[in-house]
Amino acid sequence: MLEIKDLHVSVGGKEILKGLNLSIGAGEVHAIMGPNGSGKSTLSYTLAGRVGYDVTGGSIIYKGEDLTALPTDARAAKGIFLAMQYPVEIPGVTTINFFKTALNSQRRARGESDLDAVSVLRLVRGKAAALKVPEEMLKRALNVGFSGGEKKRLEILQMALFEPSLAILDETDSGLDIDALKLVADGVNALRAPDRAMLVITHYQRLLNYIVPDRVHVLSAGRIIKDGGKELAHELEAKGYEQIIKDAA
Amino acid sequence: MTTRAASPNPFLEDFAAHAAELPGVGQPWLDARRADAIKLVRAQGIPHRRIEDWKYTDLRSALEGTNDPGKAPSVARLRNAVEQGIEVFEFKGDAPKWVVDGFGVIGIDGTMSAASFALAQSTIALHVPANAKPAKPLEYEFSGQTRLLIVVEAGAAVTLLETPIGGDDSFSNAGIEIVLYEGAKLNHIRTASNAASAIVLEDLTVQVASAAQYRAHFMSTGTKLSRTELHVTLEGKGAEAHVSGVSVLGDGRHADVTTHIVHAAADTRSTQLFKDIAGGHSRGVYQGKITVAEGADGSDSRQTAKGLLLGVHAEIDLKPELEIYADDVKCAHGAAVGDLDVESLFYLGSRGIPEAEARALLMRAFLGDAVDEIENADIRASVWSKVEAALAKATEAKP
Repeated sequence: MLEIKDLHVSVGGKEILKGLNLSIGAGEVHAIMGPNGSGKSTLSYTLAGRVGYDVTGGSIIYKGEDLTALPTDARAAKGIFLAMQYPVEIPGVTTINFFKTALNSQRRARGESDLDAVSVLRLVRGKAAALKVPEEMLKRALNVGFSGGEKKRLEILQMALFEPSLAILDETDSGLDIDALKLVADGVNALRAPDRAMLVITHYQRLLNYIVPDRVHVLSAGRIIKDGGKELAHELEAKGYEQIIKDAA
Repeated sequence: MTTRAASPNPFLEDFAAHAAELPGVGQPWLDARRADAIKLVRAQGIPHRRIEDWKYTDLRSALEGTNDPGKAPSVARLRNAVEQGIEVFEFKGDAPKWVVDGFGVIGIDGTMSAASFALAQSTIALHVPANAKPAKPLEYEFSGQTRLLIVVEAGAAVTLLETPIGGDDSFSNAGIEIVLYEGAKLNHIRTASNAASAIVLEDLTVQVASAAQYRAHFMSTGTKLSRTELHVTLEGKGAEAHVSGVSVLGDGRHADVTTHIVHAAADTRSTQLFKDIAGGHSRGVYQGKITVAEGADGSDSRQTAKGLLLGVHAEIDLKPELEIYADDVKCAHGAAVGDLDVESLFYLGSRGIPEAEARALLMRAFLGDAVDEIENADIRASVWSKVEAALAKATEAKP
């Protein structure tokens, strides 16, 4: 599904990712853990194609195609979804209208016909109930005045709606209490599928108790320095990043 | 050393040529007021950018090299028939008392308002009787030097939809006086001129009695030079003014909105919400002055102006100003100019929305709350469609 080879990325002229390798197969859930400043968010933004995240070397092959030259919206249309750490507030655009615009943009890019407002609402309603997103929230301006938990639930609702092939969850656990975390994790687990890969980026092991990964990778100073199964997350929690980084050196 | 010859004042020449043909000429009260107005034009001259109030809008330079403004045909007319006993006076025959009491009384405060008063060959006055609530808006259109007086009696409520109709290279200078008596309400919507190379000036003076309400929305796409100057006096207890506007400017356009709201009585309220988007080589200006006079205790005034620049050659000048002489007053104002938010653009892109569409969506969202101030749903929809067209033009201009 995703093959990252020797990836080098610079932001504002400063190299952040320094030869990152990662391979994720269909149906797999991988976790990337790392201390602050290790390049976790840079990786998620680079995969989503954010302007200013310059790939200076290596390749990102997704479903056999090199992504690096594709703009952000084209990647989304090809099934890449990034659940953001800080979803933005957009006053003046209702959530449901935003969903419709996004869905239809992706459909158009794939040569499919637009969905009308009624069909979109029907589609959203079913998925919103499971994530405890009330209909009233859909009528409000996107993320404006939403709590941290509501914003993250809305991110997962979008993931359910867009049905991506590759979902990247960037620090989805940040700012969530335990109930909200469970709700979000249940939402994510419900979307695990044989044709869908997930990359869960997190600082803490806590989230991985609920979204159990197939593989865990430790990111430090722009490189993956250790790989393992789900037990690696527990090892990290027990030893701390400093020790693991020292051991790997 | 060279000295610049005093530029000839085309307004004075115009007056000399046409004074005898003006509507209502020969009525002593009107002749006297016109004579005073032309004295003011002579004394003050044509506004230029060294006059603080006209700093961002250089009328003198814009007038040089244009057609003689005196040659612009003067048109001031209603497009539709009036209802519910509304009286229309076109200065044929003796003026009724409400005209004598109102015409040229509150709305002469500078060269341009004096010029429209002294020179308008087309002039109308409207009287809305007490408690009348006509369903249809009064549709007013104008070009050239024109003058309009609207008197809305107590408890009446009316909508005024105003459109400049001068063509390319035309000069318009509209003077409008609005008198709202106790509990009256006027919904005023000014839509944009379509003539890119026109000069469109407007000077509005509004007097609001107790519990009366003036609501206005100015939608502008700019012209070579356009300026709407609004003077509101909230002179009765509980009087309100709610003014909003959007300027969406494509290449070569200039739109200036200058307001002065005076809270002259207690418990008066005013809100202002202006949004400008400037693309290409264009300039948006908002100057908003609020005065809370002595004794206007308990007044509440809010003022927000925001600008969005689409390129390095666009300019937006926002100048809020407050003068407070009363106690227990709430005043809030804010002004900010910026670019489209890159975080928002990335977020929308990551959801599959192409960049051009994401930008358009954010621009509509930016303007949204100001346009939504328009209460009449049909007018609001028609303003939105003009905004959409203007946005398409503003964004196609090379940054």
